[in-house]
Amino acid sequence: MNKMSTAHKSYPEALRPVGELIEGKQTYESITDSITSVVLERPNPPGWMLMFVIGGMFTCIYGMSLVYLFAAGTGIWGITMPVAWGWAIINFVWWIGIGHAGTLISAILLLLRQDWRNAINRFAEAMTIFAVACAGQFPLIHMGRLWVGFFILPYPNTMGLWPQFRSPLLWDVFAISTYGSVSLLFWYLGLIPDFASLRDRAKNRFAQLAYGTVALGWRGSARHWFRYEMASLLLAGLCTPLVVSVHSIVSFDFAVANLPGWHATIFPPYFVAGAIYAGFAMVLTLALPIRSWYNLKHIITARHIDLMAKITLATSMIVVYGYAAEAFFAWYSGSEMERTMMWNRIFGDYAPAYWALILCNFVAPQFLWIKWFRTNVYGLFLICQFVNVGMWLERYVIVVTSLTKDFLPSSWGTYHGTFWDWMTYLGTIGFFCFLMALFVRFVPMIAIHEVRVTHHKMTGEHH
Amino acid sequence: MAQVFPPGANWLAKWSILFAILGVTLVVGVASAVYWSPVVTQVGVHKKQPVPFSHQRHVQGNGLDCRYCHTSVETSPFAGIPATETCMTCHSQVLAGQEMFNPVKESWDSGQPMEWTRVNDLPDFVYFNHSIHVNKGVGCSTCHGRVDEMRLTYKAETLHMGWCLRCHEAPEKFIRPKDQVFNMAWEPPSDQLEQGRKLVQEYNVEVGQLLNCSICHR
Amino acid sequence: MSHYDNQGPSVFGIAAEYDDPDQLLKAARSAWDAGYRDMDAYSPFPVHGLAEAIGFKRTWVQLTTLVAGLTGAAVGFGTQWYATVVHYPYDIGGRPLFSWPAYIPVTFECMVLFAAFTTGFAMLIMNGLPQPYHPMFNIDSFARASSDRFFLCIEATDGRFKLDDTKAFMEKLDPKPIEVSEVPA
Repeated sequence: MNKMSTAHKSYPEALRPVGELIEGKQTYESITDSITSVVLERPNPPGWMLMFVIGGMFTCIYGMSLVYLFAAGTGIWGITMPVAWGWAIINFVWWIGIGHAGTLISAILLLLRQDWRNAINRFAEAMTIFAVACAGQFPLIHMGRLWVGFFILPYPNTMGLWPQFRSPLLWDVFAISTYGSVSLLFWYLGLIPDFASLRDRAKNRFAQLAYGTVALGWRGSARHWFRYEMASLLLAGLCTPLVVSVHSIVSFDFAVANLPGWHATIFPPYFVAGAIYAGFAMVLTLALPIRSWYNLKHIITARHIDLMAKITLATSMIVVYGYAAEAFFAWYSGSEMERTMMWNRIFGDYAPAYWALILCNFVAPQFLWIKWFRTNVYGLFLICQFVNVGMWLERYVIVVTSLTKDFLPSSWGTYHGTFWDWMTYLGTIGFFCFLMALFVRFVPMIAIHEVRVTHHKMTGEHH
Repeated sequence: MAQVFPPGANWLAKWSILFAILGVTLVVGVASAVYWSPVVTQVGVHKKQPVPFSHQRHVQGNGLDCRYCHTSVETSPFAGIPATETCMTCHSQVLAGQEMFNPVKESWDSGQPMEWTRVNDLPDFVYFNHSIHVNKGVGCSTCHGRVDEMRLTYKAETLHMGWCLRCHEAPEKFIRPKDQVFNMAWEPPSDQLEQGRKLVQEYNVEVGQLLNCSICHR
Repeated sequence: MSHYDNQGPSVFGIAAEYDDPDQLLKAARSAWDAGYRDMDAYSPFPVHGLAEAIGFKRTWVQLTTLVAGLTGAAVGFGTQWYATVVHYPYDIGGRPLFSWPAYIPVTFECMVLFAAFTTGFAMLIMNGLPQPYHPMFNIDSFARASSDRFFLCIEATDGRFKLDDTKAFMEKLDPKPIEVSEVPA
């Protein structure tokens, strides 16, 4: 630990890490207790109740808007020519972007041996899975005919047909479903030893049986841990390119089309950076209140918050570079179409959205250079909300400005979301909160065995 | 008490996983078997008709040609369902008084056409043209089976798109000489592929186009 | 508990309990050096070197990952090739049927999907999980093995295992265990 602190001495004061990875005098038992008690002793902090109830309410609203959608068709949304994808793809990309932080934290930071990931990976992975669950629904419901959704899968069908393997939309199906299911697997494997802790500490017979079943009889054998660590490492190695591939493929939905504003080679890297940026902002949005409701500030410490804020800042700069590069490409290409598109994006009908996006994704994160904003939870929470909104606006600007004014002036149009667009979108946010509320209630929200490893590294002998 | 489960739980845990896998396989297997079975495809299932019309009686018994009733099959997309007048050419005498014949009689008297139940029906988004098939050497029995042997009419093939494609991707497997199109008893010769290739060439069947989406979905 | 016969069916092994992973590691090494081979160590988190100390140095999990990854890639690529070149070749403006660059994303995703699930399931199967019942759970304090206790268990199947001798050996282990107990089978 001390070694770690001294290594940072050369940094400017404002950027030096704050605090420790585990605060206070802790033991293996106190760490186990503070995490398992959230599930086993069932305190119901008002914040959680609020999240659960409001989330549940909006889940119902989501259900109703889906019923109306399937009954009436996608005409209840604002989509029509020339903007046929509309909010559905904006929300899809927004959610799938948010769903990138989890795997980044669990896989990439594992390979990079960043110990600070141990306290937040479970939480971020759960968030990832729920965000992907929300994202995956949009392409399906956008079909309006959910019941033929399976047509997109290659299976022996009566038509003797195959899906179009050369289409980015099909790549999306493979990328999202692989990403969702592999994330779920990674998450569950990580949970097994912690479910064993819950099994062993549960007083109530039903909880013992329930957690005992999902713990699969984990007993912490050295042989088991050996294979377990090998499997975790391999999964991390597989997930690292996977997480990069997913948002790259999502960006191909745009970049492979030859529409000005979409057809740009910078899209994959800039989308991936944007995804990490949005994901960290959402992890912070959830972690800041939840760690305080459940008194977990000694495990998700100021240090973690500070580090996440720094990653948010760094990725924000990459995203801003993307915006600058897009504008530069438009000018440098010499193409009338590209230049008109960019002029229209910055000064046209949808200019307010563009400038709001610049405010949210460029101006607001700059405050994270200041230590106060990285350590003050209210300040940081506020900035994260700017990021959440900004990333939605980014997709809105990309989708709407390019589609409303494409090559033929005769096909130009305008586009606005309707009441049901709002209800569907807010509904998935509610659904997401509802799932998060259930998660913190029934599942250890921090990877206990990994925090024990951190504790061991901080206190144990080195060998 | 640290031991949560009895020793038998190990057995249960492993077998329950195996059974879950088998169960899912079984459900998928049964569902797909049903989907391909006559329950869904209606192959070989008689449809209820106003009159128990027998193709066997008319074709094998009386020696009628398909085109006696299905008059437009060589010249139009639709093969044609005979007008009541066509029936009455014989049935003004034959069976005229019998009870089962009443619906035809009523139609004759009132001038309202008969409402037969369609047996071979394609979805509305499929453009199918009988004349092009008949004129390029696709026999009736290739798609409709041995209608001449059917007492009550049923669908002989699934009419799935995948089934259409078997011929559209390799017409030489099914094509026959034009003079055999209405021969219900025609069987492919032993050198069908060779003969078929010759016919495909002779009849100018544009094999390259047959798989275009817009050939059938216009 | 009364006396059991040597290697009798009613005892699974003898367990020593520690409250520190580094002590467990030393104890495991001592037991290995004393000639014991059939043993296992239990800890609430992975302790580096512990598996090696009880003679477990190699796992085949990574081999299954490799095989499954290659299989997945072959299945993904093969399906696309079969669909677009063999089964339904479709000429679009003279573009090549075998358009392999377009197959890469799906090939990659299939590779990851196959490899990841095989890795996860291979790890569980090789570990013999699920196994909700295990003799170690018979000792009450083992409930803390998933929190803050560390156990070394020499199993009755070991050739050198003698109930009294082994128990005496474990009691004298350096570092000294908190408790040594028989594990009923």
